[in-house]
Amino acid sequence: MTELPKEIEDAVQHMLPPTLLHDLRTPLSHILGYSELLIEQMQEAGHQEFIPYLERIRTAGHQLLEMMTDNFSAGPAEGAPKI
Amino acid sequence: MRILLVEDNEMNRDMLSRRLQRRGYEVIIAVDGQQGVGMAKSEAPDLILMDMSLPVIDGWEATRTLKAAPETMHIPVIALTAHAMSTDREKALEAGCDDYDTKPIELSRLLGKMEALLGGNKAQDTGTEEGS
Repeated sequence: MTELPKEIEDAVQHMLPPTLLHDLRTPLSHILGYSELLIEQMQEAGHQEFIPYLERIRTAGHQLLEMMTDNFSAGPAEGAPKI
Repeated sequence: MRILLVEDNEMNRDMLSRRLQRRGYEVIIAVDGQQGVGMAKSEAPDLILMDMSLPVIDGWEATRTLKAAPETMHIPVIALTAHAMSTDREKALEAGCDDYDTKPIELSRLLGKMEALLGGNKAQDTGTEEGS
């Protein structure tokens, strides 16, 4: 992951409403959680043909989370995901 | 094992309760902090998953209330929050939470914390498939 220059990161953080990162993590939780739930269910039901697409959704969600964690937070808390 | 999930977001409730039920946990649900405190007392769950940003009373206040009450103080509480800042972890532990995890939930990590607090008593895999 390419990190943003410090001055740009600082400027962006000052532009963001304090609740925005929290608000972004909520729909991201839904994307990741439901994609993982569906992968489990498709595997059990034998619908292997859907799994690669669901894995793409999950991977994209993890990439977005990684970008948010790396660039727009004060550092991951203990227990925060390491993707 | 009976888990009380205190969460105001409908999709988070649906998603996490389904995933826990698939692993054999019985999940009961409260949608705000006040209801969570009431259900902890009436239902005596084995563990509580507590969102922190809740209506009526928030997760910190609800946890302080539970940890001050003799009938609920022994119930392990895991704080769940979308605020991934180190201060949020400290704030949750100061309120009396036994552990802390962040959203988006990484289920294997959360299950590890739950099982550690439940004394290694894993849920029985009932093989139950949740409805649509």
